Amino acid sequence: MFEIFREHKGFTRQIFLLAKNELIKTYKGSAVGPLWAVVKPLFTLFVYWFAFSVGLRGNRVVEVANIHGQTVGFPIFIFILVGFVPWCFISDSILFGARSIRTNRHFVTKVSFPVSTIMSYTILSKLFVHFLLVICMYIYVLIVNGGPTIYNIQFFYYCPLMYLFFLVLSWSTAPMSAFSFDFYNIINSVMSGLFWLSSVIYSSYDMEYGWLKIIMFFNPINYFTNGYRNAFLYNRWFWDYPEFPLETIIFFAEFVVLFFLGLWNYKRLRKKIADVL
Amino acid sequence: MEEPIIIFDKVSKVYTLYKSDGDRLKALFFRPKSAKDHRALNNVSFSINKGESVGIIGDNGAGKSTLLKMITGVSFPTSGTVSVKGKVAALLELTAGFSPEMTGRENIYLKGYILGLKDDFIKSIEKDIVDFAQIGDYIDQPVRTYSSGMKMRLGFAINVNIDPDILVIDEALSVGDAKFKKKCKDKIASIIKQGKTVLFVSHSKESVKEMCPRCIYLKKGEVVFDGDTEEALKIYSEKKK
Repeated sequence: MFEIFREHKGFTRQIFLLAKNELIKTYKGSAVGPLWAVVKPLFTLFVYWFAFSVGLRGNRVVEVANIHGQTVGFPIFIFILVGFVPWCFISDSILFGARSIRTNRHFVTKVSFPVSTIMSYTILSKLFVHFLLVICMYIYVLIVNGGPTIYNIQFFYYCPLMYLFFLVLSWSTAPMSAFSFDFYNIINSVMSGLFWLSSVIYSSYDMEYGWLKIIMFFNPINYFTNGYRNAFLYNRWFWDYPEFPLETIIFFAEFVVLFFLGLWNYKRLRKKIADVL
Repeated sequence: MEEPIIIFDKVSKVYTLYKSDGDRLKALFFRPKSAKDHRALNNVSFSINKGESVGIIGDNGAGKSTLLKMITGVSFPTSGTVSVKGKVAALLELTAGFSPEMTGRENIYLKGYILGLKDDFIKSIEKDIVDFAQIGDYIDQPVRTYSSGMKMRLGFAINVNIDPDILVIDEALSVGDAKFKKKCKDKIASIIKQGKTVLFVSHSKESVKEMCPRCIYLKKGEVVFDGDTEEALKIYSEKKK
């Protein structure tokens, strides 16, 4: 059952080296190198800002209820930015995590290798990129929104949790995608729609109907996009949010289910993957 | 001295063949109905002692590759147990696992880490590898600039220099020109002399005779004969007729 942990034992150093290797593979051979990691999301962000703020001529201010029930407005650009940075990591780790075993098939079919570490280092390499984006975002937040504030340290709660959550998800998706390419295509299709169902360009805390707000708790992505906004934008503790107990219970229940589902899926498919890849 | 290093105990391997990709997707969630089973190995048992060199012969599809994959720890038996003690170096697909954007030297370390080696040890064999591969200053160039021969030589050099306990060799292996081939053969011979365990898969009777006193003859996933090479080859050519 716990072979994933056995495979990670004594392999920590290799995981870091292989994560570094992933980055080199991705960015070596281009002139500005790792700068691409920032340029690409920045461009996407610009497109969203342009579409919503200029094109649709919608609200340039997003209204959010604070802990006292009053409404506070935030400029749409900084609002999207703080949600978009974790979204980039989440989207990358779901997609690259799911296809990680497939793209590293030589580690499965040619040598004896602790296969579950493939997911760990693939997503870790995305985390390095995420750190870079967070630094850029933080500088912008400091300039525009002021700070630093004590609430910013919630980053150190949300970020590791985010890594673990999507790593645990990949324990299921990566072996399943390796087994069946159709399964990967399903994930790929779901991902393109998931963006609009997550609170990246709007706030799921401030939905019109109460029941809708609760349904949005079931999307774990919202836990992190809202979390980052708690830490960097709203300047409040996550337990200050009135629905905090329900939100937390739903999130961690999903985490536990995914954890055991991942262990089970990895165990049942690990020995079959080499035969079908 | 008689210390078994590889033990196969009643090993069977069944591959499941799916009719289509759709069936494969279904098999993730339900028990497959239309899938066919292919039995690659059937109740295979043998043990190989430390220091032995054993040839494995048989026609295509006899289960040789499946057997080797289990020894290298890539594939797993459907039933029965496989136990392998020690570091295995496989001269099967030499260029597998190279990272094309990294230099040859970086790849030596990468491959070493994958095999679970420590920094100090890799450093100590680094020079031997570079010398053996004969790629000169190219060692600090990205592997994508290498010719296929250079890649092969580097892969071979890494595998034979990591000080393996068990060396698995596929005859079909080609490692460049005649001169380098000779060098490889000599290196393998010296590894055998050091008392390492060698498994040799081949179609060529001459090279099996030359290298291995013992032979395992596989046919349709079963061990037909296990013993003296001369006798194994005799049975092999008789059965072929």
